[in-house]
Amino acid sequence: MLEVRDLCKSFGGLDVTKKVSFALEPGERRVVLGPNGAGKTTLFNLLVGELLPTSGDILINGASVTALSVDQRAMAGMSRSYQKNNLFEDFTVRENLALAAAAGLSKEKWIARDSFHDPEVREIVLDVANQVALTDILDAPVHSASYGNRRQLEVGLALATRPKILLMDEPTSGVGPGMIGAFNKLISDLPRDLTVVIIEHDLDLAFDVADRITVLNYGDVVFEGTPDETRGNQIVRDIYLGDWQADA
Amino acid sequence: MFHQTPARSFTLAVVLAALVAYATFGGFFAREIVIEIAILAILAISLDFVAGFGGMVSLFHGAVMGLSAYGYSVLTAKFGIHPIPAAFAGIFLAASFGAAVAAIASRTSGIFFIMATLAFGQMLYTIIFKSRWLGGDDGMGGIPRFDASWIGLDFNDSLQFAIFAVFGIAVCYGIAALLLRSAFGRTMCGIHGNEPRMRALGVSTWKHKTAAFAISSAIAGVAGVFAAQHTQYISPELLFWTVSGEVLIVVILGGLGTLVGPVLGAAIFVLLKHEVGNYTDHWHIVVGLLLIVTVMAGGRGIYGQAEHWITGRSRKARESLNA
Repeated sequence: MLEVRDLCKSFGGLDVTKKVSFALEPGERRVVLGPNGAGKTTLFNLLVGELLPTSGDILINGASVTALSVDQRAMAGMSRSYQKNNLFEDFTVRENLALAAAAGLSKEKWIARDSFHDPEVREIVLDVANQVALTDILDAPVHSASYGNRRQLEVGLALATRPKILLMDEPTSGVGPGMIGAFNKLISDLPRDLTVVIIEHDLDLAFDVADRITVLNYGDVVFEGTPDETRGNQIVRDIYLGDWQADA
Repeated sequence: MFHQTPARSFTLAVVLAALVAYATFGGFFAREIVIEIAILAILAISLDFVAGFGGMVSLFHGAVMGLSAYGYSVLTAKFGIHPIPAAFAGIFLAASFGAAVAAIASRTSGIFFIMATLAFGQMLYTIIFKSRWLGGDDGMGGIPRFDASWIGLDFNDSLQFAIFAVFGIAVCYGIAALLLRSAFGRTMCGIHGNEPRMRALGVSTWKHKTAAFAISSAIAGVAGVFAAQHTQYISPELLFWTVSGEVLIVVILGGLGTLVGPVLGAAIFVLLKHEVGNYTDHWHIVVGLLLIVTVMAGGRGIYGQAEHWITGRSRKARESLNA
């Protein structure tokens, strides 16, 4: 479904991504782990096209998308949520979701009809609002919503384009344990044919939802395996769990 | 996001009715003022469409209007082409120029975007200013108005032409409002709100912005056709960047991003110019003071500020009812 071959990215003399390769099966749930500065978000930025790689190739269904722009890759079925909320602050929750849904349905260019009143768009808006538990505040402006609600909307925007590949950058960053449980359920309830890549710091959530785990350190893939293999792996313990335990 | 609220429809209806009444009962000079207001109002609508809702502040709308005026004038006065196809050609020319400039400029944003539009606008001004064939700084005359005798109207009559110009405001406002309420307009507001996210959702934002500018330029082109027909004489002054600056002031004075505010702003601006102009040549001082006051009051403009007060009051009233 999504394949990365020898992806490299340098900023000047700093190699942030070093020959990263992996391949995702359709419907796979992949969690990317790694300490701060491991290059996880850079990897996402490369995948969606917000950064151009120094070398290497990104393929969707075997076709290279490396030369495509951000919007073209989104049209190819890739969608992401951001680590820092990146929303339409002045609009309501409903308007946010409707903008995303219309874009996903390629109805954003209609000049004679209103996408916000389109039945398909409305259906997606209600559907996604239900998925991310925002049904009650659909008509509230985003700038008045709580941080937790905005986190939910962040994921909701990514879902509303009806992607084939969903990239979530730390969806639970800054939220409490109650919401982590809700995200866990959200991810398990996603359709099984949706391929999902998640950057996650919450290890319980990571081990719960992942089919496979990729561990990055200083831009290198240092480990790839199932959650069980990850738990027992010494390198992973040293570079990631070790740090994590020391922090706690 | 654009909402055609009842308050906006009401304000538009009042302004348009007042213009018609003023033209009808005010005599020749009033009609000239009404036509001047209409041209400025249409130009302000076109600018608010991209600046207020698309976040793309431009300093070349005057040049776009002038280009359309020149297109219309050359075709009618020099080549004797029928005014109606000539008007469409002028509007098309304006839209094409707007699209071409936006295709380049919309890769930048903010102050760089403004400077790019200013540069292209001034280029066009200079070309026309230097062109002997177009009359250079002497301009061109002998421009005909539409011949509406087939529906029993005579646009050489100043009252009928004034009412036709007010009708032009209504049509341009309607087109802009419909587009803002379409998926296209929603997406444009989304790009204004958060362009990188819109791109991440799969929207080619620079194409969208280019199309928005083409539409806005077409509306500015309508103002150009009116401008050429009004005085039946045009000069490069129409394209000079201060014209674009003036219409930007009108939009801010009336209320950026309210669509009806700029129409009101145009009426206030032109009336002030003539009324204060009776007493002193320095009428700009009064406009400047008014602009400072509206900006200091919150930058919502005259209409925007009124709307803000009214919605704030009705919200308070609702809350006290609920309490």
